[in-house]
Amino acid sequence: MSDSDPDADGDPSVFARVVAPFVDRSVAERLVISVAAIFLSILVGFALVLVSGRIAECSTAAWTMPITGLGFCYNPFEVYVVLFNGALGYPFAVGDPGLFNPGWTPFNLSFGLTLSETTLLIFTGLSVAVAFRAGLFNIGTQGQLVVGALATALTVLALAPLLPAGPVAGLVLIVVGTAAGAVGGGVWGAIPGALKAYADANEVITTIMLNFVAANVAYVLVLEVFRAEGSSVVATRYVPEYAQFPSVLFPPSTDFALIALLVGVAFIGALYYFVEHTSLGYDLRTSGVQAAAAEYGGVNAKLTTVRAMTLSGALGGIGGSVWVLMSEGRWMASVPDLGFDGITVSILAGNNPLGVLPAAFLFGILKGGALEIGFRTDVPTELVAVLRGLIILFVAMPEFFRMIGRYAGVGGAGGASDAGGSGSADPDESAGGDGGEADA
Amino acid sequence: MRNPLSPAALLEDASESSYVRSLVVGTVGVLAVLGVLGLAFPASVAGDLAGIVFSTSTAKSTARLAAPIVLAGLGGIFAEKSGVINIGLEGLLIISAFVSVYAASVVGVGNAVLGVPALGIAFLAGIAASTFLAAVFAVVCIEFKADQIIAGLAVWLIALGLAPFMSTVFFGGVNTPNLGVSVGWKYSATMVVLATLGSWWLLNRTAFGKHLRAAGENPKALDTVGVSVSKVRYAGVLLSGVLSGVGGSALALSIGQFVGSGETMVQGKGFIAIVAYLFGNYNPLGTLGAGVLFAGLDAMQIRLQQLGYAVPDTLVQTIPYVVVIVVLALVGRTQIPEAAGEHYETEE
Repeated sequence: MSDSDPDADGDPSVFARVVAPFVDRSVAERLVISVAAIFLSILVGFALVLVSGRIAECSTAAWTMPITGLGFCYNPFEVYVVLFNGALGYPFAVGDPGLFNPGWTPFNLSFGLTLSETTLLIFTGLSVAVAFRAGLFNIGTQGQLVVGALATALTVLALAPLLPAGPVAGLVLIVVGTAAGAVGGGVWGAIPGALKAYADANEVITTIMLNFVAANVAYVLVLEVFRAEGSSVVATRYVPEYAQFPSVLFPPSTDFALIALLVGVAFIGALYYFVEHTSLGYDLRTSGVQAAAAEYGGVNAKLTTVRAMTLSGALGGIGGSVWVLMSEGRWMASVPDLGFDGITVSILAGNNPLGVLPAAFLFGILKGGALEIGFRTDVPTELVAVLRGLIILFVAMPEFFRMIGRYAGVGGAGGASDAGGSGSADPDESAGGDGGEADA
Repeated sequence: MRNPLSPAALLEDASESSYVRSLVVGTVGVLAVLGVLGLAFPASVAGDLAGIVFSTSTAKSTARLAAPIVLAGLGGIFAEKSGVINIGLEGLLIISAFVSVYAASVVGVGNAVLGVPALGIAFLAGIAASTFLAAVFAVVCIEFKADQIIAGLAVWLIALGLAPFMSTVFFGGVNTPNLGVSVGWKYSATMVVLATLGSWWLLNRTAFGKHLRAAGENPKALDTVGVSVSKVRYAGVLLSGVLSGVGGSALALSIGQFVGSGETMVQGKGFIAIVAYLFGNYNPLGTLGAGVLFAGLDAMQIRLQQLGYAVPDTLVQTIPYVVVIVVLALVGRTQIPEAAGEHYETEE
């Protein structure tokens, strides 16, 4: 795959060469800020667990603070051990002799759940990232996912009786169903795109509104028309087993299919190539960075806006398809917050498609680990939702980390470039300083 | 399809003056929606409908439901006029709703602390919590130059996680028990009217209001005159915290419980609040009109359910969102303050 080398094979424009070092540097900076933000939010989460552990009532303290002798109902160390270790299915034998758990295999239930979340978040993360690269804030991935998921479920349910049951029909149904999801999500994403382009309506507001509309309309549609007979919840019928992504290697109860993850990774590669190496992707990026300049350079900004939102919506819709065809097996009213988590994933990834993979994996761990926290500790699993918000908050304030970096740079080992250090932040210098901070 | 909203009529007035437009949008909107419903239902139902619209119980629940929307919307005006777009209003409502219920349960309904009754304490606690969260948002945006949209989103998501988290810590579940209190609709209505008039006066008749508008429109000019732009912006954001705090507490205390499942009991009212002030074109009176319109729709929907009409409530709840999209599409960019969303660096 030529995706990995960003060097001039596609379009060797002067622009790309001039911009490349800047982009690389900002990628490094975003990486450091993301790591530091995760570190900080874990720290704040630690304090939160401590404080609430002091407030909550319990018969025996789960953890006693050294020196002070204060008892706490929640053990903050245990929380994070369970969170990260549990999400992977306990590969580490904490407290026992020998670091690794000899009975551990990667194909366990917990790790499967983590990877299942990761797969879904890849699509929603990419959805937000693509819009962002075009300078558009798509908060509507959630709605696009809901619409896409419903389109997928209805399409597969409608087509399934027409085909003879079997693996071939399964493949056809999965492909057609996913395409339907992409179209559904794409159309839903095109609406705010067109409103932005031709009516100047703020996409942040319209996408938020369309989330509510999608959720409500889909709910009513399923409630009134498509509800499975005898179902106690608002949900469609299950799509046939053979039309769902097959779970290979992992236990079927994980609702995880390796194939779906690979498709997600392929999408990451394809999108990276699209954004960085195609002329359409170039238009997209320049509209995002400098709308006026792009227009001057002959880019049809309005059309680009609609295209970007449609593509973004289609990706959200595919996320919905995967949710139906891999995880749930049907459309149901309680659609998880995958779209909103996608915003976090994208921001964490610096809106770079390649960064979406590690960010989605990290978030998969947080969400998989949350289940373990629920099983093994008394700490409310909503902690993870708080961490999600905190991560966004910290990633949103790069200036904060630059300030820390400057402090660390003055006092610490760094200080390689002292020429223009005091003025506006030099990304290189601050990145170095932050790195030290994050490791500490 | 016929659209009795007749947006063209709205548009003509829109460009003239924001004041006229707000009132027109409010009244025409109410009548138009009535028209839509009147057309949609057979004559027999229309009678019931009129009964619902002019019934006192609908008016009462409208007053209750309007409180969080209008108050948060007024808060949003102060923040955005000062140049800080606060899309975290939803989060502020959530946090104040929870904290007020928690405080009331700690004091014990019917008890008092230093002569202040439990519900008063609950309101103060809710306002304090919301203001604190707004202060964090302000520091992040003004001091650390964060992207306001992303930081606002973070405020929402933090509250969306934190309130159910704390509820589970204190009460063992994401929903608190019902305290059995209910702040009357008269209190809600009074607070809404006072806050609206107060906000209008503050924005249009005081030096502070002038500074606030300058901070959003032309921060450099304000700086030149010697007024600290960041201080004015802090004041704007903190005011959004205070007002949202009143709204969130009023919401929770009118029911006597905090519901933390799903999107919590706030259910997007913070976003509707943003829409209300955009709809009202940053005018407190217009915000009141839009907020009452949305709340009235919701109240009518509840009444319709009670009368046994099989209108799916979720479909009726969708109307405000659709109206918002249609209006945004027709009116386009509202008169957003020139420098909203931008950071300001003091020149030395």
